[in-house]
Amino acid sequence: MTSHLKPPRAAERLLFFALAGSPYRHDILGDLHETFAALCSRRSPAFARWWYRVQALRLAARFILRARPARTKGQPMDRFLMDVRFAARSISKRPFLTAAVVATLALAIGANAAVFGVVDALLLHPFDMHDVDRIVMPVTTSPRFGEKRETVSPADFLDWQHAMQGGPIEHLAAINWWDANLVGRDEPERVLGFAVSPEFFAALDAHAAIGRTFLPEEAIPANAKRVVLSDGLWRRRFGGDAGIVGRTILIDAELWTVVGVMPPKFDFPMRAELWAPLAFDEKEARNRSSHYLTVIGRLRAGQRPSDAQTRMSTIVRQLALDYPAADGQLGAAVYSLGGGMSDVGVPRVLSLWQAAGVFVLLIACANIANLLLARAAEREREIAIRVALGSSRGRIVRGAILESAMLVGLALPAALAVASASLRVMHAFMPAGVVRFIPGWDRMGLSPSTVAATVVFAGIAAAAFGIVPAWHLAKGAVSEALKSDARAGVGPGRHRVRRALVVVEVALALPLLVAAVLSASTITTFITSWQGYDPDNVLTMRVVLPAATYADAGRRSRFALAAVGQLAAMPGAAGAAVGNILPAVDSNAVRSIEIAGRLEADRSKAPRVDYRTVSTQYFDVLRMPLVAGRAFAATDRAESEPVAIVSASMAHKFWPGASALDQRLRLVDGPWMRVVGVCGDVVHDWFDSRNVPTLYRPIAQAPGAALMFAVKTAAEPLTLAPAARAAIARIDPTQPTFDVMTLRQVVAQRTISLDYIASVMAAFAGLALVLAVLGLYAVMTYLVAQRAREIGVRMALGATEADVQRDTIGQAGRLTAIGLAIGLVLAVALGRAMEAGLLGLVSADFRVTAALAAALGLTAIAGSYLPARRAARIDPIVALRSE
Amino acid sequence: MPTLKSKDAYVGELEQLILLVVLRLGDDAYANPIREDLDRIARRRIARGALYTALERLEQKGCVRSVMGEPLPERGGRPRRYFTVTAAGLRALRESRQVLLGLWDGLEAKLEPR
Repeated sequence: MTSHLKPPRAAERLLFFALAGSPYRHDILGDLHETFAALCSRRSPAFARWWYRVQALRLAARFILRARPARTKGQPMDRFLMDVRFAARSISKRPFLTAAVVATLALAIGANAAVFGVVDALLLHPFDMHDVDRIVMPVTTSPRFGEKRETVSPADFLDWQHAMQGGPIEHLAAINWWDANLVGRDEPERVLGFAVSPEFFAALDAHAAIGRTFLPEEAIPANAKRVVLSDGLWRRRFGGDAGIVGRTILIDAELWTVVGVMPPKFDFPMRAELWAPLAFDEKEARNRSSHYLTVIGRLRAGQRPSDAQTRMSTIVRQLALDYPAADGQLGAAVYSLGGGMSDVGVPRVLSLWQAAGVFVLLIACANIANLLLARAAEREREIAIRVALGSSRGRIVRGAILESAMLVGLALPAALAVASASLRVMHAFMPAGVVRFIPGWDRMGLSPSTVAATVVFAGIAAAAFGIVPAWHLAKGAVSEALKSDARAGVGPGRHRVRRALVVVEVALALPLLVAAVLSASTITTFITSWQGYDPDNVLTMRVVLPAATYADAGRRSRFALAAVGQLAAMPGAAGAAVGNILPAVDSNAVRSIEIAGRLEADRSKAPRVDYRTVSTQYFDVLRMPLVAGRAFAATDRAESEPVAIVSASMAHKFWPGASALDQRLRLVDGPWMRVVGVCGDVVHDWFDSRNVPTLYRPIAQAPGAALMFAVKTAAEPLTLAPAARAAIARIDPTQPTFDVMTLRQVVAQRTISLDYIASVMAAFAGLALVLAVLGLYAVMTYLVAQRAREIGVRMALGATEADVQRDTIGQAGRLTAIGLAIGLVLAVALGRAMEAGLLGLVSADFRVTAALAAALGLTAIAGSYLPARRAARIDPIVALRSE
Repeated sequence: MPTLKSKDAYVGELEQLILLVVLRLGDDAYANPIREDLDRIARRRIARGALYTALERLEQKGCVRSVMGEPLPERGGRPRRYFTVTAAGLRALRESRQVLLGLWDGLEAKLEPR
């Protein structure tokens, strides 16, 4: 029985309204319903619904467009329907104009909606968690870190936790990286894990799907060998075994007991797959100097973020008094989860994009307003007659606004399609390794709020381009239009508006072009210019040594150096090196140092430098130049004199005007080291400024657990990848090697955000340029047509073709010049803003701005060439006769 | 030679076809079968909207009359509107038939298929 199936509601509604004027309204609805029911049983409900929608659209279009106005008089609703019909007819009468307007709008609105989609996913709703607004992220701040948010030291965290009891934040929890090496049935695998306080899950209001999360007593080292698995890891490595809880698994050469499995979508933070209890031993619990914990918490019901901030400030003020040496200068700030987890640069980039989008939208609106103004001029007589026959002016303005609204309505579906397609393209080109670090990227798409924002953009557009023609119609001088011929009705006032619109377009297009070219040149600079090292023909890979089997520095050092030996001996390898950090990778190591003879009494004021522990061949493999002194040698062993190499910028900063060689420095509380060499600077992070002081130590004297290998190859580096994995496995078969890629790929992943900035800006700039030139072309064509008579007279009086052409192009040139003058001011301001706030590498070169202004000007004038030629070809006799 | 009397409504070709189909359908003449028969017998596929417009015009001219049937569940509780041809409608049909027959007179030899 299919008679209970109902036709699509929206389609039925639409028909109901469209048929308002028909005496057969209910009959038509009934007939359609009857056929719909028949189709449901004869074909399929899906087919029937599709059929019903098509029928409804066709009938609605027919009745709206063709219904006779005579039937609808008097009632406000009827009058409105009549206006709708009239507007629809006037739109459908000019299919090309309509198509041009709709396409322009769809592109401009779609581009804005796409950017808003990114803003929505990355900034407004990056996390899909229950009550996400209540999750907060307290961070450490200090004048020393500038505007950066700093992670928290263990001792500070424990004090925060204690002091916050009963306060506005409950379930304060800390998170620490844990690169876990999982050994099991398959080959060893490196799994992204995190050590978390037991309160972590309560802070996020997350519960295990199987088993449980951590208990408070598991936060001490003796009880901490427990893990919770992600749903994905559980299915991938353990075949979704329901009896997994209580079993032990081998991680980092130790046995861990599985206590629970999280539900499928839970992967916080950064697509985590494994969680273990964060436990501090007594020494670590007193550590205030290493900042490495990320802290989250949950606002108690009824508390606001400002309450949390107030309490946190009180707590850190007390800590600063209690521990002046370590915490004297530290403060605290409370971020929302989204705000705390996202890169500080993201909001700036996104606001630049959104600003660019709005510029494009305004240019598009100026264009459309121009087109519609031209049309309003054509319709002047018609409107004058309507007014003379008693139509109210308000009604005519209403009609014009309705027309704009309808054009926007037509453009909306196309705009959504453009937005959806752009978002999909952006999504497709982002490598998975980077997506992990951009909370919300996975959620990018046409969300309800994006659709809502699209409608808002559309509304802004409708208002922006609808108001100008409507206003003109409203104040249009009826009697003059009737008295004179159609052409004379076009007064100088209207020309002024149209010219102003062209000026606006040019003025808006220039800053966009400048921003796009600056972004593009920045990325080109970054990728092609010398970064301080040679990224070509270098294969990189990472290994993290587990603390259980590699607790001893000697073992770590032996592993690292043996691996380098194996890698360097591979056929096709021209050298190998290891370091804790390679250039351009997405992590960094920073240490506080003390310079001999310049000890700070307040240790929290100790200067911080980038910290590298590297093998002897490091500088050679990466082709980093030594400015002075020597490289590390095999003789720099654990038991020999501690030595260091400093970057040129570090030498300059700490020993200006003197040689850095043989100077002495140490890590806070570390052994004194002698500087034996000065090397060139490396650009590690494009977002930071260049020339970050960097300290290098021989890995034999300070071997860490996280190792990054670099192999210089003769041929394409990736062809050596299998051999390199095998080389590492020969030293320790339980040790997974991960992130095997070329150094070029590392750099590319690191700069992909620049790529995105540049391509999105370029897309906007291209759009703006095309729209601005088209706008100028349209206006010049129109002005030439309007002035045909005047030009005819002038030519009859002896003006030559060249005179007319020069005059027309001159007119376009004047408009362009005014636009450029305004645009230059905007562009210089924008360039300054980008230079200051956005990209450390951008330098707002005025020559670039000037060159772009010239290029835009020439393009615009070229756009007026065709109309100018047309003006010159006007036959005076024809022009005069046509009047 | 028969001529159109001024008091009679003039009906166009589509309207004639609709009137004839309504006559043939008898008691079952509502929009859906009318449209189907137009397609099946007269081989005229017309848009649904056009049919309603034509029926409305015919009713205004007095050529058809309509009555409502019972509300039906398969129509979402709406009744069918059944059409019958009025005396004026029959007259109009006869008139146009006469006109056509008059025009056909003597042309059989040229127009009949051989």
